[in-house]
Amino acid sequence: MSAHLLCITSNAGLPVFTRKKGSTESLPFSIMGSLNGVHMYAKSQRVKLLNSLMDDHCVAWKEFHDSVILIGISSGCTIQVLNKLLDSTFNAMVLTVGIEKIKTQRNTERLKRDLRMSYSLIDRLMESLDYGVATNKYSSDIISMTETILCSENHLLQVALEAYTECVDSEYSCILIHGKIAVATESWWSLHADEIKLLSYLATVDNMTSSKDVPVFLPYRCPNVAYRFVACMLIPHVQVCCLCGPTPLIKDIEYSASQCFKSALEVIETALRCHPRNLPNSIQLESGVLGILLINTKFGKYVVSRSPSTSSSKHTSNVSHRLDLLRTFFYRAVLSLINCEAEENKPEAEKTKKPDKVNKQLSKKDILTVCKETYWCSEYYKCHALISECNILCVLYTASIPTHTARLITSESLRILTTDKQLCW
Amino acid sequence: MQRNKISSNPAYSCDNWSDSNCSSCSDSESSIPEWESCVNPSGELLFIECDPVVSYSSNRLDAENNDFSTKNELRHSTRTKFLKILRRRDSKRRSKRTVKNSDLISTQDTTKVKFQDNEDGEIREVTVKINQERKASGKEASIEHLLGITVSTLSDGNRVMVAGFAPDAEAAKQKSIKIGDWLKCIDDFEISFHNLNEVLQQFTTKNQVVLKLQRVAGVDVTKNPPINELSNQSNFVHELLNVNSEDDLSLSEMLCEYPIGIVYINTDNLSESGPEFEGIVYGYPHPYEKNWLCNCRGVFITLNHLLHDLTHSSVHTSSMLCNNKLTHIGYKRFGSKLFLLMLPDNCANIKEICLIRDELLRMLEFMFQSIDHCFEAGEFRNQLDHFFARFFVRVLAGDWHKMNQKDTLLNLNDSNECSVFKFESVLPVAAHLPLPEEAQLQIDDALTELEASDYREWNEDPLDCRRLFTIIGSALYHSGHLLSSHFVHGDLIDVHMFCRQQGLFHLSRTEPVRSLVLWREVYPVSCNPGVPSEVNFIPEGRRYLLVVGSGKDLLAVIMEAGGCTEPAEDNMGPDAFYVEEVQATLAHLQDIGISNLASRWINENFGSHVIAPEFPIKRKTDFLSNISFVKSNLSSSPKDIGTQVQKKPEITSILKRRSSDHGPLFSSSLASLVDDNVEIQSEDSSSQGGYSDKGDVSDEPVLGRRAIREKKNMECYDDESDIEDYRDGSQSNSSYDLSELRQALLVDMADKRPDRLTFGNENVLYHYVQLDEKEGILLCPSDAQVYSTALDIILNSFRKCAQGIHDIFQNTLRLKEMLAQDVTKWVFNKSLVAVKEYGTLFECSLADDANKKYDKLTFWVIGRLYYIPHPREVYVCYQDSIPQNIVEISFKLGTMTA
Repeated sequence: MSAHLLCITSNAGLPVFTRKKGSTESLPFSIMGSLNGVHMYAKSQRVKLLNSLMDDHCVAWKEFHDSVILIGISSGCTIQVLNKLLDSTFNAMVLTVGIEKIKTQRNTERLKRDLRMSYSLIDRLMESLDYGVATNKYSSDIISMTETILCSENHLLQVALEAYTECVDSEYSCILIHGKIAVATESWWSLHADEIKLLSYLATVDNMTSSKDVPVFLPYRCPNVAYRFVACMLIPHVQVCCLCGPTPLIKDIEYSASQCFKSALEVIETALRCHPRNLPNSIQLESGVLGILLINTKFGKYVVSRSPSTSSSKHTSNVSHRLDLLRTFFYRAVLSLINCEAEENKPEAEKTKKPDKVNKQLSKKDILTVCKETYWCSEYYKCHALISECNILCVLYTASIPTHTARLITSESLRILTTDKQLCW
Repeated sequence: MQRNKISSNPAYSCDNWSDSNCSSCSDSESSIPEWESCVNPSGELLFIECDPVVSYSSNRLDAENNDFSTKNELRHSTRTKFLKILRRRDSKRRSKRTVKNSDLISTQDTTKVKFQDNEDGEIREVTVKINQERKASGKEASIEHLLGITVSTLSDGNRVMVAGFAPDAEAAKQKSIKIGDWLKCIDDFEISFHNLNEVLQQFTTKNQVVLKLQRVAGVDVTKNPPINELSNQSNFVHELLNVNSEDDLSLSEMLCEYPIGIVYINTDNLSESGPEFEGIVYGYPHPYEKNWLCNCRGVFITLNHLLHDLTHSSVHTSSMLCNNKLTHIGYKRFGSKLFLLMLPDNCANIKEICLIRDELLRMLEFMFQSIDHCFEAGEFRNQLDHFFARFFVRVLAGDWHKMNQKDTLLNLNDSNECSVFKFESVLPVAAHLPLPEEAQLQIDDALTELEASDYREWNEDPLDCRRLFTIIGSALYHSGHLLSSHFVHGDLIDVHMFCRQQGLFHLSRTEPVRSLVLWREVYPVSCNPGVPSEVNFIPEGRRYLLVVGSGKDLLAVIMEAGGCTEPAEDNMGPDAFYVEEVQATLAHLQDIGISNLASRWINENFGSHVIAPEFPIKRKTDFLSNISFVKSNLSSSPKDIGTQVQKKPEITSILKRRSSDHGPLFSSSLASLVDDNVEIQSEDSSSQGGYSDKGDVSDEPVLGRRAIREKKNMECYDDESDIEDYRDGSQSNSSYDLSELRQALLVDMADKRPDRLTFGNENVLYHYVQLDEKEGILLCPSDAQVYSTALDIILNSFRKCAQGIHDIFQNTLRLKEMLAQDVTKWVFNKSLVAVKEYGTLFECSLADDANKKYDKLTFWVIGRLYYIPHPREVYVCYQDSIPQNIVEISFKLGTMTA
């Protein structure tokens, strides 16, 4: 139950940083050297080493911009998730220092020092790996996606947020409750999913002060020029964040925040009460449901609720394990299905360019196969996922629910959650 | 298929050959078996002789099946005293098997009989109806399907001759069509062998045609199969038989351009300053300089060590980009040696490469005792090169190739479209074709008799020498489907892997094999001291694999020399007597119609219970929209749903069942759910249908059935008191009428209708797989007769999904095994514990706008794992219209094999 993450410069093979998670020793230097060495040697043979799989472990190598190599080793998770983690980690590095510094590497020591800022982000990213360990504090983290919270007050917050956004002369802003996005502007959602996720983490990690003003390089939007990321605390655990240029000053932003949200404070406090459940109390799901995970693949956001039905909340012992189950189910059963769809769509696009000869027989490319539902039955629980366009709802059930009933409950729950205007899903 | 060629040398003609065999019975000592010259110095033999038939009918029918029965008559040379003694008596045994043969030959055998009809040149016109069913079935129009006639050529190789009739064909009832007639015209179109198919195409729409036939008299109408090896060997057979090192060398260089390879490395004492390819024990393709794998081997040697040290588990695969092509490497460690296999992703994905690697290694161990021995002994090098050349060409081409290997490589379309997933074909299991009980009984009977090798019946005097071999197991295949196996499970898998990789199954499926004999020393897993086995005592001795084939049938036998029999000699070749014995058994099985039965079973999809998918035509209110309609009312109480259903009687399945059967269950479950998952019975088994039976229990009835069958078998044996008579070789055997038996088998099948595995009025099952890795048996429908793109795509999705499900199940099984061990050392994901059912719903839609009128096709792929009595996995793929119960389907499947 361990994970390691190494970052090594491509040319010199110097270690930039190593991070680890779980109960494990740090990697000896010789092993780090060998791990880098095999990749380098393969490169000299015009071969790009990607990954290696073992019984329960996997190792992945990924080189970015011919300048740094990230190597990840983890137990218990799939290679797909590990690869995504490497991507996100690199994005976190870009976010803190900008792409230029990583590419040029004039001074490795300097780079190392600058990257130290990103450690807390990277450590948090590593929480997205799933091991099936119940003690995980952040077992609701899902790779490459941002957690949100659905409060019935969201539509009110949205109005206040729009006003605030205008005041600070920005387009990008959002409100975080316990680090989960309650509402955000349209432009905020237009950012890359990894950017949104990293910014949310950035707002919550190392929170010493009431407001935060750090330069960020958006890995996809503009990796060369830094924006200012400003997060102001409205009340404890509730932050309003925005991206802005050199002006306005932090003081002005803080002032705007207090002005814009002054009238909404009560609403915010009610919304905060939604926290551990992440769903408003008004929404009651069937009692056989132990947890739900609602995902929007278009924006890369999700909401997870461990005990949507109040009646089963008396069993709190294994609630975090439930989240782990849901996450593992999503990683193993669902993630592979949505990804393969993306791959299959590619040749489809090529195909439309040149229409084939008229063929009476259906050609293979004329038929699209998409996955709609999937489920697992274990001896102890049941998982069911329903994929409907960009929304995916995964539900964890008790083992006693018949599968066909589970299907009905899932589709009904999805309808309730996605159609409620107040929640701003 | 090959053109017919007339042998210029009648001495080698088929007739003469068989005739001479008949005579050779009397002076047996003189003749030697046809394969004798092919035995190589190490005693190994691979002899294949194919019929140069022009239109090789896909199902060999009654008329063609007596090839072997004539060969039965042959009993020739021997090398041992033992056999000389036996020979005196063996005719008795034969007489039992071939009682009726003489009659059969004269009336039915088409390839060997001379027609000496005296009605010279009489021309007749016959009206024949075209078989509408066959036409509708969408099969390729062949004369056999349309008219019910099988054809061959007259001696000039061009004129078409009536060679036989399809079973139940109308043509067969026409008295005026006779076997041996020259088929001159169809509806005034003159036909020759070349234009036959074209002409036929024109009649596919007609209802009846007029055939003009002429009786040919006094002429030797049988085409004489040319014995010229080159002309009657397809490329495939040619490559199988001939190890041409020059060809292999150039092929090997061509293969170097692909990211493929195999290498066996000794990782001990590697130094940085050593010679360039230090440590490589064996590698393919040559030369090593151009071989990707050999050049990069350092990476994998290091990784293998490093990752093992780091994680304490062995490395399975590595992936990399070679020329921007995703490529996988499979590892296997043997002490300090390392075996690597490299294949591109479009040929084998990660899961497949692991299975292929294991299969290769298993086969090599079977052939050469140990991997070390196989690669280190230089003597096998040519053989290995030859094998791997064929292996890689096949893998790259996606299947066994029709052209010769180099052309196949040149024609490889590099831009392989979507990758094809393999599931059933790469698992270490044999596809089993369960025949009706009576037939199964006959097969078991024949195999048992062969294995018993009880030759007392031929010899009243006590034998004064030991027998040469003990038969330790046998298995009968038809077109690559296992009909019956008497091997221990491990050996069956060994034999199956061997035949699959060597292409013997492909051979029997596609080539007109007249005779195949394979002999080599093998090391079956049950007797391999290197492999830990359940049996403690393994007798000293050597084992040999003998595979005998004819038509689509293969009979594989493992024999043991040493132990209680004569000790083995080095480089022992096949023994004529045993080969004949096995051939006779195979011929006997064909005589009683097993082969036909199996062919028909496969062709008519008996017992497979599957349908081909069709896109539903759009209706205004289809079932799905109904469901969603009702679903949206779920928040109301279950009672309401019940009334909903009554209003809409066309929605039967989910809802009705739910409201009737599960109304109470639903509410009770609601109550029990509150108590989390403590005392929960596994309700999930009612996957879609909603029967609340408990999954694992269903295994027991299967057991019961099996037991019953076994018991039945026993009773049968008891009833057949003539078992004793066999031994005595007494006359009661003459009542053993083969044709009656054959008739009985077929009639038996005539009223056999496939049991449907799914619920509902219509069959909705597209595919199923029952996997029993312990027994090495796989149960799945025979290959699709009707080609359908939709089916192809659905099956591809099925296989891909099944791979994933299989993976999860493997995890579950691994966990079960480890439960006893130290819990704290677990590194795997605990969330994966005890997953026993896994299903996915897919939706297929036509991208083309022109196909608007078709609706979407939705189907389920569901896998389920059973633990008791040993792990068994069931995978099904069915249309999502009527809710099904996977447990029920599994149960029905279970009873099929039992």
